Amino acid sequence: MDLTRRFKHRGQRVEAFGVMAMRRLARLVAVVVALSGLTACSTGERVDLGDDSSGNLIAAIAGEPDQLDPHKTSAYFSFEVLENVFDTLVEPDANLEMKPALAESWDVSGDQLTWTFHLRRGVTFHDGSPFTADDVVYSYRRIIDEQLTNVDKFSAVTDVSAPNADTVVIRLKQPTPNLLTNIGGFKGMAIVSRRNVESGEITTHPIGTGPFSFSGQKSGDSITLKANPSYWGTPPKISGVTFRFISEPTTALSALQAGEVDWTDSIPPQRVAQLRDDDSINLAVTPSNDYWYLALNEARKPWSDVRVRQAIAYGIDRDAIVAATSYGTAAANQLAIPEGNPWYTAYDRYGYDIEKAKGLLRDAGVTDTDLDMLVTSEYPETVTAAQVIADNLAPLGITVNIRTVDFATWLDEQNTGNFDMLMMGWLGNIDPDDFYYAQHHTDGTSNAQKFSDPEVDRLLDGGRVETNHQARAGLYSRAATIIADKVSYIYLYNPSVIQAWSTGLSGFESRRDGAIRFRTTTLDRGETS
Amino acid sequence: MTRFVTHPIARFLARRLVYSAVVLIGVLVVVFALVHLVPGDPVRIALGTRYSPQAYDALRSASGLDKPIVEQFFSYIGSALTGDLGVSFRNGDPVTEILLERLPATISLAVAGIVIALLIALPAGIWSALREGRISDAIIRIASQFGVSVPDFWMGILLIALFATTLGWLPTSGYQPLLDNPGGWLRHIVLPALTVGLVAGAIMTRYVRSAVLEVASMGYVRTARSKGLPPRVVTFRHTVRNALIPVLTITGIQLATILGGVIVVEVVFAWPGLGRLVYNAVAARDYPVIQGAVLLIAALFLLINLIVDVLYAVVDPRIRLS
Repeated sequence: MDLTRRFKHRGQRVEAFGVMAMRRLARLVAVVVALSGLTACSTGERVDLGDDSSGNLIAAIAGEPDQLDPHKTSAYFSFEVLENVFDTLVEPDANLEMKPALAESWDVSGDQLTWTFHLRRGVTFHDGSPFTADDVVYSYRRIIDEQLTNVDKFSAVTDVSAPNADTVVIRLKQPTPNLLTNIGGFKGMAIVSRRNVESGEITTHPIGTGPFSFSGQKSGDSITLKANPSYWGTPPKISGVTFRFISEPTTALSALQAGEVDWTDSIPPQRVAQLRDDDSINLAVTPSNDYWYLALNEARKPWSDVRVRQAIAYGIDRDAIVAATSYGTAAANQLAIPEGNPWYTAYDRYGYDIEKAKGLLRDAGVTDTDLDMLVTSEYPETVTAAQVIADNLAPLGITVNIRTVDFATWLDEQNTGNFDMLMMGWLGNIDPDDFYYAQHHTDGTSNAQKFSDPEVDRLLDGGRVETNHQARAGLYSRAATIIADKVSYIYLYNPSVIQAWSTGLSGFESRRDGAIRFRTTTLDRGETS
Repeated sequence: MTRFVTHPIARFLARRLVYSAVVLIGVLVVVFALVHLVPGDPVRIALGTRYSPQAYDALRSASGLDKPIVEQFFSYIGSALTGDLGVSFRNGDPVTEILLERLPATISLAVAGIVIALLIALPAGIWSALREGRISDAIIRIASQFGVSVPDFWMGILLIALFATTLGWLPTSGYQPLLDNPGGWLRHIVLPALTVGLVAGAIMTRYVRSAVLEVASMGYVRTARSKGLPPRVVTFRHTVRNALIPVLTITGIQLATILGGVIVVEVVFAWPGLGRLVYNAVAARDYPVIQGAVLLIAALFLLINLIVDVLYAVVDPRIRLS
């Protein structure tokens, strides 16, 4: 999954306005009481969408999907919805291991270059048309031929074919140990319906094979899905899901507490500590595979000097950054992959050490210098962290000029290399190839910092084709260590996936890849009207 | 027919219509230029940070953004003149449809907000002016100063905490169409409309107060009072009526501002109005939606302006629509 808008927490702090404001407010109570007297009292009122959706699970997400074509969107909000509508050939389980989905089984040829997938029979799309191997070929060819967002996932694929209705064969130019993650890691690789694409309706009325079918959208307000009774897995036990778009986390949390919504991931991080002790809701703080990092522009002096980059790595106080950006819900990490992950490598070279940082700068001959730090208001944690970092680096004689821009401008500036340092996150990672290749390989498509190291290139190329798991883990471990030693990135922390739901909701599993699956959820609203 | 066209009101309307069309075309040109001059690339933002150069080129040409800017401009203006505002870069929906879908929520909030504002501002402003310098005047002035200064997101959050979470009388957020569910519409609109209305009402109270004070110092008011008219008659027939012109002006401006989108209130109450639409469209550099929305907001401004001008003549017969 791509870099998205998941971490939406504006650190708005409420100022105390004192007694006068409260008195003024109290004066208004009379007006509101009069107004509300006109209407029936409604505790925990739910959105009635005028169809059979009143029994639906109501989920509050932090923003509106830009579009609903899984092959074209890159927004996390879209995938929160689409996760429940579409299927992939294989899909990650809770431990992010790839398990059968639309494909029941698969064989790999001895030379590792031909993968044969045996499809599940009797699966239908939401419009009733049968799912066949042609749909798989069509979906994959669409991504490849139209050069869609995720075309990189097929970089090793030479051919996709359907010898019969239940079989798909993928041919590769080189062994690809992470093929399953590439085709099933997230719903961006979903199997779509040709008719749905060709009618142009997929962006607004998607048709998939998943546990829920698309029912309707109200612009700026909500999207409603209804249960698919002919789902190939166990059909959902709830009648449907309504995703409401509530970007203000304080409001979303109030709606959850008032019983208007059953589930939300729009939660102010500063409230997490308090919510942990709240028995009236369930809270999940799940360590994720996402990470946030700093990158120094190596095309510019003095950042081209590895000693200067290392000085900054020693000069920042990671724990302070974690505390300021996530209120302690994230885990500090000096590498990308968090502990508990099969690809984890232990690494702790860079403690917070001002003296060492000063020494490195002295060796490099760098005295007072300015640093243009590019951050975006789209991700408030980058703005917060920049303030901590500016403070951290001041004693080193580095003046950090924080430049806060909107995300569209940020992407432009990153792309043209107009920055000294930037901070960004990388989300939804499963395979180490996702973590490293695009960002640290000389030819990587997201290597904005212009890092280039022949050894790292060799290791990352090797990791792409090494089929022995142990050997592959060794390659990535070495690559990760060099990336940190030579400071391609200064990794900061792994954030947590923060979600909360009502006590009446059960069977929901908070996942470390941030995928939101409501297929096994049940809902018991008790006495709630 | 000729008599109709020569009727002063028809002539007035015709002239205003032509004038409005010119303004709207001007707005289109300026907005088109602005959105294309501002840094940020809609293709890049659609793709996020993880994409190949091929994917970038493919989407760029599919969106028509690879064509020369002059060609894009004339093709946009050409179709806009026929009423076709293009389709959203984000999801391919026609811009006209997107705007129409957001309009009812926006108009609901604007009208309800301005009604609340007037209910506050007229009595408070008049009372305050008539009691100039006394305690009640001071209280109203301080209260309206607070209303102007209190951030609307804070007011919104407080209202939610009190009426939705604690008392459970009203829903925290969301919108329901008036025609589908009048009761639901009313319950959902109370808190956002209060938030909008309190801020606008506080601003308008100050205008009403100073307008009434100004008229009250006029010679004819003194005359009316000195010839022995009861204070009530002096106040309502001579003072307030003549103070309505500036009040109408500020009401029109406030209404148009709310119609243009009250982003913060819309965000706090998850209200599907124009403000959030424009905000998201700007963030995504969704040029057709930005252009269409600005055009619509400009048209609403012109319409309200027109209505206010007509109302001037109704309130004050000395004003002629010419």
